[in-house]
Amino acid sequence: MENNNQDRDIKATLKKNWILFKQSKLGMTGLGIVIFFGFLAVLQPILFLTNVWDEGVYHPVVGYDAEKVARTIVECPDQYPTKDYQTREDCPKVDEVNIRYLKAFNIDGDVGDIYESNVQPAPPSRKHILGTDSLGRDIFSQIMEGCQVAFVLGLISAIIGVGISTLLGTAAAFYGGALDTYLMRQSDLVLMLPSLPFLFIISAFAELQVWHLAVVLGTLGGLGGSVITIKSQALQVKVKPFVDSARITGGTRRRIMFSHILPNVAPLALLYMVFSVTGAIASESVLSFLGLLNIDMSWGIMIYLAQTEGFIFTGLKYWWLILPAGLSVTLLAGGFYLVGRGLDDVFNPRLRRR
Amino acid sequence: MLVYTIKRFFEMIIVFFLFLIISYLLFNAIPGNAFSSLLLNPLLPPETYQRTIETFGLDKPLFERIQLYIINFFKGDFGYSYIYYPRTPIELIAERLPRTLMLFSIVNVIAFYTGFLVGKILAWRRGSKSETWITIGSVFSYTVFYPWFALMMLWFFGYKMGWFPLGKFLVPEKWYDSPYSSDEIFYTLILFTTVTSVFLFLIFIFTRNIESLQSRRNSRFVGLIILFIISAIYWSNGEASLQRFYAADIAYHMILPTFTVTLVAFAGTALLTRTTMMEVLKDDYILTARAKGLSQKRIRDRHAARTALLPVVTSFIFTIITIIDGSVLTESIFSWPGMGQLILEAVTREDIPLAMASFSFIGILALIAHFIADISYAFLDPRIRVKVEN
Repeated sequence: MENNNQDRDIKATLKKNWILFKQSKLGMTGLGIVIFFGFLAVLQPILFLTNVWDEGVYHPVVGYDAEKVARTIVECPDQYPTKDYQTREDCPKVDEVNIRYLKAFNIDGDVGDIYESNVQPAPPSRKHILGTDSLGRDIFSQIMEGCQVAFVLGLISAIIGVGISTLLGTAAAFYGGALDTYLMRQSDLVLMLPSLPFLFIISAFAELQVWHLAVVLGTLGGLGGSVITIKSQALQVKVKPFVDSARITGGTRRRIMFSHILPNVAPLALLYMVFSVTGAIASESVLSFLGLLNIDMSWGIMIYLAQTEGFIFTGLKYWWLILPAGLSVTLLAGGFYLVGRGLDDVFNPRLRRR
Repeated sequence: MLVYTIKRFFEMIIVFFLFLIISYLLFNAIPGNAFSSLLLNPLLPPETYQRTIETFGLDKPLFERIQLYIINFFKGDFGYSYIYYPRTPIELIAERLPRTLMLFSIVNVIAFYTGFLVGKILAWRRGSKSETWITIGSVFSYTVFYPWFALMMLWFFGYKMGWFPLGKFLVPEKWYDSPYSSDEIFYTLILFTTVTSVFLFLIFIFTRNIESLQSRRNSRFVGLIILFIISAIYWSNGEASLQRFYAADIAYHMILPTFTVTLVAFAGTALLTRTTMMEVLKDDYILTARAKGLSQKRIRDRHAARTALLPVVTSFIFTIITIIDGSVLTESIFSWPGMGQLILEAVTREDIPLAMASFSFIGILALIAHFIADISYAFLDPRIRVKVEN
């Protein structure tokens, strides 16, 4: 009977919080973005399983599709600017091919003819919504694969990090004394290590897969600064009257900690979790961008490839290699951040409008 | 209070000790060593590698090496860099650190100031359309994938428009027959920037208490013009007029990195200011100030923003620690030869003395900042102070 009441209480609180959350427009936008990317992450395996997508063509890592494109043969002038081309980079245009290039490969053709060739990277078409990369792999499929990596990594590292920091932070606040000193100095130690060079070292002697990176990032985040924040929150809860009354009625220390203090720290911990997803996604992308991870495909690797293959300074000519991956990282991280902001409005009454 | 400080100080030394050992173990765990490439060179006799390793003491057991390193560390001997052999880590850091500090302290000051202004306005205009758009903009720049964004900026302003150089910190052609080394010019620049910012700060401090908005703005404007004239006189006289050309070259290379990092960095401060300011606006004394009939601007700037500044300043202190750590990416994208690149090089080429020296430099900086923050908290916040005394 009592259990039933508690269930109803929790349901009522959730409903109330949901109503509060719905009021924050930006929070809802963030939730929409996160759900959209979550949908993309789930969609890819479904497409493969139902054979809508052929794995040989659409696989993000080993797929290949020779996209045929008809191009006009032109002769690039020696002097610039001319009527059609402003600078040397403009010739040939995306739908043109230089006749000198064809001659170098002993292919016959005259200026003005149509030359049909395989192109990689191919521009977006109906078959490949976002085009293909320089190895003929579908960009949209890679983006979906990147979603899976980002979600797995972000969520696992956030859960590990918040789990560690909530437990340790509450324990430090509740027990105090030597444990507190030890935990605080430990988080000093973690904060002292410069994070990016530290991850370089780790990646030098361990082959980092998504899982490993998630654990490393989670542990680092959990032992570092968030312990201090959670501890200060727990200290505020510890001096509240209900903790005293629980102690007077004879609650054991463990029971007070787990059933009175932890639930009151939980909202802040949840908030931290959402924000740390943002950090984890960014760290993964930076490490893959620097080519330090042992991951087949991720958003960071897509940008890494675009940069090492020299497409990044071609600007908007090959936009489908550069923009989707970079924007995905930004959007998903931003989405999680906005959700966190919405939750902040829910849990912190002083931030609410009324 | 004194007991607390002393206790804290001893803890700090123990933490630093552990930090040294852990870092050494980490560097040691990287497979191979700095001289492994000697083995691959067919022109060298095989005993070269062995002899080099013995010279640098890398053949000794790990425990002995750590012991030696720590003893020498506290004697003030940091050894020699492996990859820049005759030079010591201290020399290298002294050469690279000013470049990083110059770039990032300018960035941080600008980012902090604009961030605070934007955050203040965001909280004040809550619920308006402009708030939503500015928030979206700041969230974008807060969560943007930084290397990608920096490359895009480099592409657009450096390559497409051609306004700014593509990285590096000077144009070598201009410096062939230069009578000065780049470091000398750099120190002059740093000195100039520091003095100017101090004067700027003083102008703001002195005009702060002028009551009327109009005359405050005017006096600040006059102050800025005087400062501008003085600096113009400085650069057109004596030795500075010869250095002007080279200083301008370095300054020109600094614009794009400064702009890019500022765009990314200001958002954090802005979003934090918004939150703290919104909490402050719910306080009773703001209501009192409204009831007194003070002007909106006055309530915003004098009553709310002043209180909201405290946590923001704290977070600013902590950003200063992460300058060197955060400079790694920026410096490698803009090929800015500073501390970040030095650490990256030391770590990837396993130059243990150099890496240890720079790691411990960062570590000491972080420890001191945490220590100061703790002590000043205990000093400023009576609640914590009382607890400590009991």
